[in-house]
Amino acid sequence: MSILVSLLSLMFFPAGISLILSGMLYEWADRKLVARFQNRIGPRWFQPLADTIKLLSKEEIKPHGVNNLLFYGLPIVALSGALTAALYTPILGLKPTYSFQGDLIVSLYLLSLLTMCTGLAGWNGASRFSLIGATRSLTQLFAYEAPFLLALLGPAMAAGTWNIRDISTYASDHLMFLAQPVGFVIALIGLMGKLELPPFDAPEAETEIVAGALTEYSGRGLALFHIGKSVELVVAISLVTAFYLGGVGNPLIFLLKTLIILLFMAMLQSMLTRLRIDQTVGMWWRFGALLALLQILVIVLLKGWLV
Amino acid sequence: MNVPQNYVNQLMGKITTWARVNSPWAIHFNSGSCNGCDIEILATLTPRYDIERFGIKLRGSPRHADVLICTGPVTRQARERLLRTYEQMPDPKFVVAVGSCGISGGVFQGCYNIVGHINEVLPVDAFIPGCPPRPEAIIDGIVKLLTHLQNGTRPEPITFAPQETA
Amino acid sequence: MTTETILQRAGEVLAPFSKGNTTPETNRLDVQIEGSDLPAATSVMLSNDLGYLSAITPTDLGKEVNKLELIYHFCEGAAITSLRIHLPREDQPDIPSISDQIPVASFFERELGEMLGVHVVGTPDSSRLFLPDDWPDGVYPLREDFTVEQAAPVTPHETLPEMGRVGNKFTVPIGPQHPALKEPGHFEFEVDGEIITGARMRLGYVHRGIEKATEQRNWIQNLYLLERICGICSHTHTSAYAIGVEKLAQVEVPQRAQAIREIVAGLERIHSHLLWLGVAAHEAGFDTLFMYSWRDRETVMDLLETLTGNRVNYSIIALGGVKYDFTAEHSRAINKAMDYLEERIRYYLHIVTTDASFLQRTRGIGTMSLAEAKHFGALGPTARASGLERDVRIDAPYGAYHRFPISLITAENGDLEARFEVRMKELLVSCFAIRTIVDNLPAGELAVRFPRKVPAGETISRVEAPRGEAFYYIKSGGGESPTRLKIRTPSLCNWTSALNKAVGHQLADVPMLIAGMDPCFSCNDRMITVRRKNDSQTLSWSQMREYGIKKYAEIRETK
Repeated sequence: MSILVSLLSLMFFPAGISLILSGMLYEWADRKLVARFQNRIGPRWFQPLADTIKLLSKEEIKPHGVNNLLFYGLPIVALSGALTAALYTPILGLKPTYSFQGDLIVSLYLLSLLTMCTGLAGWNGASRFSLIGATRSLTQLFAYEAPFLLALLGPAMAAGTWNIRDISTYASDHLMFLAQPVGFVIALIGLMGKLELPPFDAPEAETEIVAGALTEYSGRGLALFHIGKSVELVVAISLVTAFYLGGVGNPLIFLLKTLIILLFMAMLQSMLTRLRIDQTVGMWWRFGALLALLQILVIVLLKGWLV
Repeated sequence: MNVPQNYVNQLMGKITTWARVNSPWAIHFNSGSCNGCDIEILATLTPRYDIERFGIKLRGSPRHADVLICTGPVTRQARERLLRTYEQMPDPKFVVAVGSCGISGGVFQGCYNIVGHINEVLPVDAFIPGCPPRPEAIIDGIVKLLTHLQNGTRPEPITFAPQETA
Repeated sequence: MTTETILQRAGEVLAPFSKGNTTPETNRLDVQIEGSDLPAATSVMLSNDLGYLSAITPTDLGKEVNKLELIYHFCEGAAITSLRIHLPREDQPDIPSISDQIPVASFFERELGEMLGVHVVGTPDSSRLFLPDDWPDGVYPLREDFTVEQAAPVTPHETLPEMGRVGNKFTVPIGPQHPALKEPGHFEFEVDGEIITGARMRLGYVHRGIEKATEQRNWIQNLYLLERICGICSHTHTSAYAIGVEKLAQVEVPQRAQAIREIVAGLERIHSHLLWLGVAAHEAGFDTLFMYSWRDRETVMDLLETLTGNRVNYSIIALGGVKYDFTAEHSRAINKAMDYLEERIRYYLHIVTTDASFLQRTRGIGTMSLAEAKHFGALGPTARASGLERDVRIDAPYGAYHRFPISLITAENGDLEARFEVRMKELLVSCFAIRTIVDNLPAGELAVRFPRKVPAGETISRVEAPRGEAFYYIKSGGGESPTRLKIRTPSLCNWTSALNKAVGHQLADVPMLIAGMDPCFSCNDRMITVRRKNDSQTLSWSQMREYGIKKYAEIRETK
């Protein structure tokens, strides 16, 4: 029975189909918000769904001279990573399907898998644009991963555990974003870096390198990466919400909180110019990492005092 | 046993067509135009016209695009690049020629460095006349193309009666 | 110095070389010199500060005269000193290069080579500029006996010279179909990681052969052709053409028409700079600014449509005047629009000078000093942002600018931020000028009668386009069509500075740098090469092309 339950939860809820659909909803919300900020109307609610179906139905062109295994395999791996990470996160404020000590690290790694696959895909591609995009992707990964992890580590240290479920439970009793405001801000901005949203979209800068690492992808491969990105959006936002904005609890309220974060991200997207890749990295390592470390220090000290 | 199979195929076909009609990603190519049409095409992205409502996104890479929006009277130099861009686009793909130059060469007919019109280089699915056509005309033309795609037909060419020469 | 003193001084310093002086118009001095004296003559012109090289007009004088003519135009203020050189009408006669003294001349000289078949000795780059790779050798479009059939394509040959192969740098092609470039052009940048070490450019994607085509159309038809050189600055081109032709025909355009022309020119400048602001912002990744500025630009487009009937290619100029009149309603509409626009432009000025994330992409980038601007022959807002006081509307006022002058806007820093600042401030000046004219519109006729045939002669007209000075040389043989029409558009001169500045910057800055000079490929489909470093490797265009063709052929086979 439990296997059946596991399978069902994997394929339908909370992972699987429902996750993909909610990814599309979030993507729509993001695009709509950005459009409104830009004084436009924006896309219709089913737009991401139409985009995905269309991509899946397009011809797939494989550039000559690329590694077949990598070319076809990377999109699948990327999507799987994002979907698997969802199993450990409290989607919609419900308890995660699976959990074990240390699943925080595993989750984050799985989320990064997407970016690494993008990077590899770019390297594998036969055009120089995709190579530059790949380099930028990986550089950016290298930059924000550490502060983002540190930012998520804050609540983990406060809760005294590596288990996402336990951290979320702890967080629902304590308001983390008040207790660790710096960590919250870093987590939010790190989120945008992770998702390669503007202003951190140098790896995909349309006006400079055509389409970045995924320049050479079309059809199914592109669709899978696309879905992977929206799933990552949902999972990462849920993680940050669970840790900082009050953990597990009422699904509706959780949803509202995630939307607030989305609103904030849409605002930042519209208001800032794209940062150059060296500026991104510089900013992260100088401010992001440092601030996050400081926050950790504060937590360590406080814990030492209080306990 | 064929009936469910046919039904499934039809359903898939309908869904795919629906998706393609509602999410036509475009790529823009200037094959030597004066830029008038291009700025009107860009203007369709802006708040007053907002073509994202129709699901149209302007992409950078031809691999990601379904519709090639082409302007200009195809200079010799640009011809090859135009072909290459078209070839890089995955199927199914469509070509929209915007502006008089793309249709007939416009004011540049007879100039030594132009091929003439886009239809000589690529199979064009929709022509949008004007010098330049207004953004509304461009959106109208693209929507007409999409409507025909939805119905499964290609747009009918409009023929004019030959001019009576005095 | 006044125009007279400049011309007088020019006459004096050029006396040793002169084989005959003429004064075709009050502000022009024509000096006939020998081809071999060209470098020396250029040098005295430059050392006495008698002008910058604005254009080189190549003409084939035809079989009877049996000569090729090159005219080198030096402009200073309103004075134009032209060095006229006659060459034998053979294949590839020699003329010395002046690119070592004037970098921008390298472009013009490439044009000479491919268009007229002149061999410029010592020019740093003699590869094709405008003509396509598959153009047959030995066929020169500007020669009198050129026919379109002669230009049948041949297999393309190597046009880009190989560079040294020491080292292993990476080349990034940008264009001809690239999202940053709304118009096609092809750049090649050598990069080391993300830093640019060399830049090169090839145009020709928008070369339509307009100069030659004007000879086959009559004076009025040319208005419509020239309008479509560039959709963004179409009014500028027709203005320059009309002013020149009206000078030749000695037709006095009524005051009202001139004022209306200036109003439309001002509106065009507003639309062009707002367009540019949006495109530059888009290139920086600041899409919100792009959306806002283009939304506000629609106000101007609406105005233009109300006044002229079309959003782009307004076609309001007729030879001898203008076509449409202004009514009181138009004036009201304009005033209202100006109120709205001035407020928005001030807002944009505020943003480009204070928004931190934007400044990160523009402050201190692409800095060009005053000396460099002069040396590279920069024009328009790009030059003015470096403090170079060059504006044809002020140096050599034409049309209604005598009566309704505008003020000069310059900045000191010369970086991208300064260029943004200058353009926004220029817009405020334009708004003010438009308001003034609308409130004081002179009464009178809209147009005067214009003869069908324009008397023989040649004239030069210069007009300030939104991007800089547009230079027109018009020669009439007394017939219904021009004998020769030479157009030198501003972006051509600005490429040198942009590409030179690119070296040393990051690849990510390239779109902004190029956008900063507001390039208009359609306007100037000319080629320019910039810098070569001997220690980098480049793939030539045909190599890349071959590779691409092979690649896709194989894909087709595997499908």
